[in-house]
Amino acid sequence: MTTMATPTQSTPDAQVPHYNPKSESAAAKRAKSTIFHVVALALTAVVLYPGLWMIASSFKPNAEIGGANTSLWSNNFSFDNFVTAMEGIGGVSTLQFFTNSLILAIGAVVGTILSASVSAYAFARIKFPGRSIFFGMMIATLLLPFHVVIIPQYIVFQQLGLVDTYVPLLIGKFLAADAFFVFLMVQFMRNLPGELDEAARIDGAGHVRIFTSIMLPLMKPALISTSIFSFIWSWNDFLGPLLYLNTPDKYPLPLALRLFVDQTQSSDYGAMIAMSVLALLPVLIFFLVFQRYIVEGVSTQGLKG
Amino acid sequence: MINRRHFLTTVAVGTASAAALAACGAGSSSSGETGTAEKPVTINYTWWGNDDRAERTRKAIALFESKNPDIKVNGNFTDFAGYWQKRATEAAGGGLPDVMQWDLSYLRDYGQRNQLLDLGTVKINTDAFEKSLLPSGQIKGKTYGIPTSTNAFAVYYDPAKLASLGIAEPDGSWTYKEFNDFLTEVGTKSNSALFGSTDYTGVWWMFNIWLRQNNIEAFTEDGKLGFTKDDMKKWWNTTAGLRGTPAIVSEERVTQLAPKSPFGSNVTATEVTWDNFMAGYLGDSGAKELKLVPVPSDDPDNLGLFLKPSMLMVASAKTKYKDAAARFIDFMVNDPEVGQIFKTSRGVPASKTQRDGTTFEGTDKLVVDYEKSIEQYLKDAPEPPIVGFGTLEASFKRVSSDLNYGKLTIDGAADAWFKEAEDLIKQNA
Repeated sequence: MTTMATPTQSTPDAQVPHYNPKSESAAAKRAKSTIFHVVALALTAVVLYPGLWMIASSFKPNAEIGGANTSLWSNNFSFDNFVTAMEGIGGVSTLQFFTNSLILAIGAVVGTILSASVSAYAFARIKFPGRSIFFGMMIATLLLPFHVVIIPQYIVFQQLGLVDTYVPLLIGKFLAADAFFVFLMVQFMRNLPGELDEAARIDGAGHVRIFTSIMLPLMKPALISTSIFSFIWSWNDFLGPLLYLNTPDKYPLPLALRLFVDQTQSSDYGAMIAMSVLALLPVLIFFLVFQRYIVEGVSTQGLKG
Repeated sequence: MINRRHFLTTVAVGTASAAALAACGAGSSSSGETGTAEKPVTINYTWWGNDDRAERTRKAIALFESKNPDIKVNGNFTDFAGYWQKRATEAAGGGLPDVMQWDLSYLRDYGQRNQLLDLGTVKINTDAFEKSLLPSGQIKGKTYGIPTSTNAFAVYYDPAKLASLGIAEPDGSWTYKEFNDFLTEVGTKSNSALFGSTDYTGVWWMFNIWLRQNNIEAFTEDGKLGFTKDDMKKWWNTTAGLRGTPAIVSEERVTQLAPKSPFGSNVTATEVTWDNFMAGYLGDSGAKELKLVPVPSDDPDNLGLFLKPSMLMVASAKTKYKDAAARFIDFMVNDPEVGQIFKTSRGVPASKTQRDGTTFEGTDKLVVDYEKSIEQYLKDAPEPPIVGFGTLEASFKRVSSDLNYGKLTIDGAADAWFKEAEDLIKQNA
């Protein structure tokens, strides 16, 4: 990145592009744009159809979901599924599941932001012996499949008596164990001009001051994308909570969702889908609120120097 | 980065100490720690199932605690698929819960690896159980699981659908040919609006029953296959004339309907499966009433039917509270009031004490009556399936679905399945 203004200033639509000026008439352009939009809309419809199906099915009676029923809307429109879903499972209210999911997701966001940014600062800005080896090792953990470490990790937490608490699910986030986010921030920081640090150092700032006053504000876009991903990943995580949580009171939503469908007994697909719709809302809201910042952040990146 | 290095050391130390603990675990006292009413011991009990089972189990636990003030039961539950992932991790980490609800297909696997407590060493009353049923919880003379309840194979049908087609209800004494003719009649009279059934030759347990009807055992005592390729080809030939006709719903349709079954989706008039699926089918199809009759057999005196434990109760080999665990298992399988709480939602209660103490109504009564009606035909329950049985069962289903798609001939299907089965048995030998 340079400190110049972004080169992609869009030209107003009325202006004819200065290259190859007479190739297209206005009509041809309109036709092209129409085709483009029709195709784009058709693709959007295909991609969004499962979502639409889910929302439509959440208002259907259980017997009319899936199987031989192909129509999207049902004549027996009702909110019964939502009522069942909100009643909770086995004496635990649905609100409790939501709260648990929120605690885990917010914990994950806070932990990741704090630990990954500090670690990234060390890797990107401080020269210490063995830096590149440690950096390589950190990248190597990205290649290690989660399933390989499940059992050793479980044994550790089991011996420490931390099973059935949120500690195993959150401690990694506070210790920068998510190498992906550290890597993301390191790459981002390396693109920030080093002159900024030097100027600050000349003014007498130490690492703490440089990190908090210079780096953190400039890293806003990276911090926001990290927050979004770590929120969504934690919100959707099934395996971690499944292995480490025993008490249904502590279950987050993905575990609760599965309890509505039991192939060995009767399955309440309606309630499960209704709860899926409810579970989707916070993620959707979180994304809608913060995606604005990603775009904003990316386009102004590096300009504030 | 010290964190990561420290972490790795912790992992190493953790693994080592787990191994050390496992080594000295065998030397603990015979009855385990016991509690008093003032200072009760807490045992963990875990099960799979839905909201309904959670509610019923909570009631049963409350009843147990009021009768046994020296024991507290901490109940946890997950869904079926997650349940086994979690148990596998816990078993590797040495942290299985004290008492668990169990499935027959996982019993040999965990029993052979000494993860489960030999329940013959603790006090559990099995006097009220059918003698033919108990061996299904035993491996090499050790009792690892006590059946809570039983299920049996049956042909389901929807009387309302048959009535609308003007077809008489079956009475369950039929040969395979008569059964096939019945399926064809449903398909043709309804002009293919309704199929007879799914291809029942693709169901492993139905194959097992057919083998029993022909006095062939599915697995030998040393864990090998007891039947030949020709037996298998003969079995798949039973419905050779029906595939692709209105008698049998096509495999494409079955796939479209998943996760619901064709019977639950009102696409077929009958289904051959376990009798405890009743509640699920009623819920899925919205049908008013479904009925059960015995499976077809060419030998009217040998229906090949048996009672299978629909679920079992087991305890962890490493539990510190053997006595409390045994008392809880005994209570869950024998107590009549527990039967009254669960009705047939776990299957028909296996213990006579519990069965007699329970009043069955409506669909519950249908299932119980069905199992009573086949009593005279029942043979010994199967032994716990061989390790890797789940894979074999799944591949049986897959191969037979390829057969229905027309991707494989009957000979090719039998070759494919046998190759897989022999490899698997060799691996686990």
